[in-house]
Amino acid sequence: MLLAASALSSLAGGAAWAAEDGANDLLLKKMEKMEQRIQTLEAELRQKQAAKPDESVKPPRSATQKDAKNANAAAPSDTPDIRSNSAAKTLSSSTPPANLPILGLAPSPVSGLSIGAYGEIKFGAMQNPAANGQWQNGFDAARFVLLPTYAITDNIIFNAEIEFEHAGSGFDADDKLHGTAEIEQIWIDFKMLDQFNWRAPGIDLVPIGYINQHHEPTQFYSVNRPELYNGLIPSTWKAGASSVYGTIADGLSYQVQVSSSLEDFGGDFGLRTEANTVPPFPTGYAPGISGLDALGFAAPVRGGFSQLNNTLAYAGKLDFAPAFIPGFAGSVSGYYSPNVTPRGAYADTGDLLGHNSVGIFDAEFRYRVPTTGLELRGEYVRVNFGSPENLRANNDTDPTNNVGKSMFGYSGEIAYHVPLGTILNSEWEAVPFYRYTYENLQTGGFAGTDANLPTGAGQRKFHTAGLAVFPSPKVVLKATYQRVIDKSVVGALSDSFLGGVGFFF
Amino acid sequence: MTKWIRYTLPAAAIASIASPAYSMQYLSISEAQKQAFPSATHFTEVQAGRVWKAESGGRVAGFFIFDRVVGKHLLIDYAVALTPGGAVQSVEILQYRESYGGEIRSPSWLAQFVGKTSGSSLKINSDIRNIAGATLSSTHVTEGVKRVLLAYGNRLR
Repeated sequence: MLLAASALSSLAGGAAWAAEDGANDLLLKKMEKMEQRIQTLEAELRQKQAAKPDESVKPPRSATQKDAKNANAAAPSDTPDIRSNSAAKTLSSSTPPANLPILGLAPSPVSGLSIGAYGEIKFGAMQNPAANGQWQNGFDAARFVLLPTYAITDNIIFNAEIEFEHAGSGFDADDKLHGTAEIEQIWIDFKMLDQFNWRAPGIDLVPIGYINQHHEPTQFYSVNRPELYNGLIPSTWKAGASSVYGTIADGLSYQVQVSSSLEDFGGDFGLRTEANTVPPFPTGYAPGISGLDALGFAAPVRGGFSQLNNTLAYAGKLDFAPAFIPGFAGSVSGYYSPNVTPRGAYADTGDLLGHNSVGIFDAEFRYRVPTTGLELRGEYVRVNFGSPENLRANNDTDPTNNVGKSMFGYSGEIAYHVPLGTILNSEWEAVPFYRYTYENLQTGGFAGTDANLPTGAGQRKFHTAGLAVFPSPKVVLKATYQRVIDKSVVGALSDSFLGGVGFFF
Repeated sequence: MTKWIRYTLPAAAIASIASPAYSMQYLSISEAQKQAFPSATHFTEVQAGRVWKAESGGRVAGFFIFDRVVGKHLLIDYAVALTPGGAVQSVEILQYRESYGGEIRSPSWLAQFVGKTSGSSLKINSDIRNIAGATLSSTHVTEGVKRVLLAYGNRLR
């Protein structure tokens, strides 16, 4: 902080400091060279240590979770009176070398850079509602995400997530790829004070609920993400955003974010015009917000300056883990966009659609009852629309997808952690669980030019139950059965019985 | 162009004066030593850069061990202060670099380690509470403290 102040003062009085600047420059250059030399030496040392973990010379290069197995062997054992070197040697063949920042396998080529990964594999049988509920077998390499993290300095941290969905994307007909390669997150944190830190503009997750920001497969027990996060809260909801965050008191932290807004346009990307509007009347276009998919197709655009309106949205979250209820954690969060209507929006009658604001409220908790295996989770989320008559879904001549003044959902989950003991050199844990979710995306009071004939498909109950087995906190094997019941005449026809493999390291 | 400096310079000056009192992102080793053993008169390095003996008036007040573990991907600098008998007196986080998982710095979470010995089980979700959203950091710090206790708890006198 002192350096920043003096840097500013030297800017303001530039001329008077010119002479001293020359000498300062030389000193700075020398220090930079020394810094580089130290970093090179550190990197070399780490490489040497990675190759020979038993003969570590330097101090605090301590290990990752794998060293739990080395618990009986000492950490850096370079003093003669610690006689555990032999113990370390016998364990080393079964324990991989520690502190390898690249996918846990290799030392970092750049000091301070690490690359982690997480991913989800899904397979099983699902009812296909588009095929009249026929049970179909299938497989999905749902996602694979690389997480580069780099400590630019101790206070400036770079983070990104590079995501490949559904086995990636490609154009050759024989590859049969229809997935996505995208930047899910990319931001630089300036860590200043406990109470105040700044996340520079980048792509960041919108702070609503728990799972949106903690969505690795080891954070939830079902094969698919919790239902409320597949529409009411868009799946992996991310946006061009900047935020400030910090810890207010022990167990209480906050984040306030400004982001580019949700948009009520759900059509193919190529359909938006060069003028950054919806395709002109009378072509028509798909809604981003509907009574069937909630906000699932309303995610803001993150590239090419192709957003369809100028709106900035605001979100805030309070996370609490009060010390007087050990094992309890929860959050309340909110989001507000003054306008989600895209440029040129129109009803199928040709009338232009005006402004429409969106407000979201979420409250959730997770409670792990101390000294037992019992875990409870609960959540409530509500979406309110300022002017639902201006939603495309209420004006697209489709009477089945209409949306009322609000949408909401809630869920309750109970799980039990059962230790399975040591298998294959790690501690395994099984977690059976059951979750009940209710969503109503078509509350009454539809407005707009459409006829109002919702089928009831937007009012759904989910019974989700299954088992998650953790061979380590970083790997999970899942089996989940889900029954979906809605209010439509034909029924939801979306039951599934899925298996999954997830990892996060 | 220089107008903004007029507005930010006073704030920056005030912040730079005030921040040492509030900035808890970083504790130096000597600051952490003083926090762990406020009555100690001097610290002798027993193992270079790793272990210090805290003495106060000729008597051993305890031992201070500096260690590092990985959080999610970046290193966490922390220190374990041991009583002369080899039990944990305190655990302090000196530097937490990552953007998520900083909840392990909460005093009530760190207080769980006080009194632990090399015989304690020190397992997440057993005698040490997990922190949802900071699972890896809390697991690694717990394992680090356990390792420190097993390595040094019975051997430092």
